[in-house]
Amino acid sequence: MDRHKGRGWFIFWCSAPAFLLFIIFMVIPTFNIFRMSLYKWGGFSARRTFIGLGNFRTLFEDMKFLQAFQNTVLLIVVVSVITITLALGYAAILSRIKFKGQNFFRIVFYIPNILSIVIISAVFSAVYDSHNGLLNGILALFKGEGAQPVYWLGNQNIIIYSLAGAMIWQAIGYYMVMYMASMAAIPESLYESAGLEGAGKLTQFFQITLPLIWNNLRTTLTFFIISSINMSFMFVKVMTDGGPDGSTEVFLSYMYKQAYTNSTYGYGMAIGVVIFIFSFALSGIVNLVTRRETLEV
Amino acid sequence: MKKLMTIALALALTIGLFLPAMAQEAPLKVAAIETAYGAEIWQEVAAGFTAKTGIKVELVTDKNLEDVITSQMKAGDYPDVVMLATGRKAALTETLIKENLLEDLTDVLSMKVLGEEVLVKDKIAGGFTESSLTNPYGDGKTYLAPMFYSPCGLFYNAGLFAEKGWELPATWDDMWALGDKAKAEGIALFAYPTAGYFDAFFYALLFEVGGPEFFEKATRYAEGIWDTPEAQQAFDIVGKLATYTEASVPSNANNDNYLKNQQLILDNKALFMPNGTWVVGEMADAPRADGFQWGFMALPAVTEGGDRYSYTWFEQLWVPAEAQNKEAAKQFVSYVYSDEAASIFFEKGGAVQPIVGLAETLEGDNKMFFSIYDTGAKAALGNFAATEPVEGVNFADTVFGTVNSLVSGDKTRDQWVEAIKVDSDKLREALK
Repeated sequence: MDRHKGRGWFIFWCSAPAFLLFIIFMVIPTFNIFRMSLYKWGGFSARRTFIGLGNFRTLFEDMKFLQAFQNTVLLIVVVSVITITLALGYAAILSRIKFKGQNFFRIVFYIPNILSIVIISAVFSAVYDSHNGLLNGILALFKGEGAQPVYWLGNQNIIIYSLAGAMIWQAIGYYMVMYMASMAAIPESLYESAGLEGAGKLTQFFQITLPLIWNNLRTTLTFFIISSINMSFMFVKVMTDGGPDGSTEVFLSYMYKQAYTNSTYGYGMAIGVVIFIFSFALSGIVNLVTRRETLEV
Repeated sequence: MKKLMTIALALALTIGLFLPAMAQEAPLKVAAIETAYGAEIWQEVAAGFTAKTGIKVELVTDKNLEDVITSQMKAGDYPDVVMLATGRKAALTETLIKENLLEDLTDVLSMKVLGEEVLVKDKIAGGFTESSLTNPYGDGKTYLAPMFYSPCGLFYNAGLFAEKGWELPATWDDMWALGDKAKAEGIALFAYPTAGYFDAFFYALLFEVGGPEFFEKATRYAEGIWDTPEAQQAFDIVGKLATYTEASVPSNANNDNYLKNQQLILDNKALFMPNGTWVVGEMADAPRADGFQWGFMALPAVTEGGDRYSYTWFEQLWVPAEAQNKEAAKQFVSYVYSDEAASIFFEKGGAVQPIVGLAETLEGDNKMFFSIYDTGAKAALGNFAATEPVEGVNFADTVFGTVNSLVSGDKTRDQWVEAIKVDSDKLREALK
């Protein structure tokens, strides 16, 4: 009995510091964000007025916020779908097919992930440049000299996809490595027997690989939602700063602008609350929809 | 006994540790933005101030000053004097204006300049302490001291005009005619670094179409002001100018790529860009077309013989209301207008203050730039009036940022004007 009690205290003292830090740095700030979203406040002075849900009412009539919302959702969908497809494809090829230079490709695909976002943004700004950019250079080969260039970062219908392109390029390597790790855990014997039964590579992928890494895939879906929201802010900040004319504004960049440069801190926090609820809800829904019976080998 | 001695000694040492801190006067905390003029000017001016008064100066300079001082200020640690202009992306100065957190500096104007027998207000050139940039609440009180100024207008390659034999447009009609001529040669009429540069342009244009009284009403969001023929004329000009703008400009119109847009002028790909005199230093190392020579003019007039305006952009120095050392701070503000400080600012950094008689002593490119007001152009001063913060409304984005969409054709002139009217109505209600 005494020993049992002692163990309880031991666990308590071991987890207390982490728990305390969690409360101080996660729970309290989050609570404060919720509280401040109910005030009209500029961020500096002591003048704070409680306005209840006023900020939220303004928010849902704010067309610029809705545009940022739209852009964020578009980025989450486009970036996730394309990255998953490509990362899964590359992972399957690199782990199932033996060929020369396999390790080389592993490294090449992973490199974008260790580069800083600022560098990636600078690289893509150069690639997308309207006069000397790589993309327009290649297009000019087909269209002939003197043709109108495509304004990758100026045309408001294209620019959000230009951003998505940079985000996908950055993300593929990371997810590829994650999928490869769980693919490595699938026993070779399954593929061998499938091969004997006459299943082709594609059938093997859909019937064996995909179901067996399903849990891992589900986890990465949540990552995709969170990282798309975070990463898009960094890319936007460096590449376009929300422009031209707000066409690449995303959740966090709009929140930042409202909280800090428009002196409406409370309103910015209200945006923060919406982002919080949105990302939680979306992750929950995605988790629910993708729930399958776990297959174990 | 020995124990008592030890305690006494320890106490003496502890007190000794704090004594010097108590005896010394609190230092003056000065925070200044480091711009193209460099940080050295501030070090020397701070040293000059200390030599005159014996007050130590704790100086902070940084290119992104907001990042350094904002968090300190939120924690209650305010600088005593801050040199940071309005119109910056982070809008810290605007935030403090909106929050009523600036110290009233009106009494500094009738103080003597430190070390001189002249009053501060007699040294500052006329008009500078009467605009909404220094008196943000329109109540006759000065909260921000005017510092380095620069005339803004249209920059061009004078060499190209000489080579082609083109004349500088004196009216907007001439401008359009020139635009068509240049288009035939594959040169665009217009480019801009970022849409934010339309502020100086648009303010000057408002003066041109309606004069000072109209400008005053427009910048205070008067009811129906945007439906007047004057405002419509200004919108027409910007709308038309958008169609004459180099097509790649919106792609690069952000903080990281705007130099590419400025490069268009140096490469003879576009004729005019709105800018300030700092552009010469900014592009000093950039490659340029043969025979390139900077040219600078005020906006063309709206009618034959009409007034032409050049916006005067200037930076501001202010004292936070929460500053601890206000007396010394005000002395410092008076000192920056002394001949001694002015010569440091100009000689070490090339920064020109609005001090009576200073512009006459300039030479070279600077002489051409700063003499624009002597050669017929009128000075436009002021900006959109400060309001209480309005959620989701950023008027600069609405008025200037939309120009990107006008150029790319994503929004029409009428959509733009409609949005301005809606936001203007909201801001009028929040006016201070």
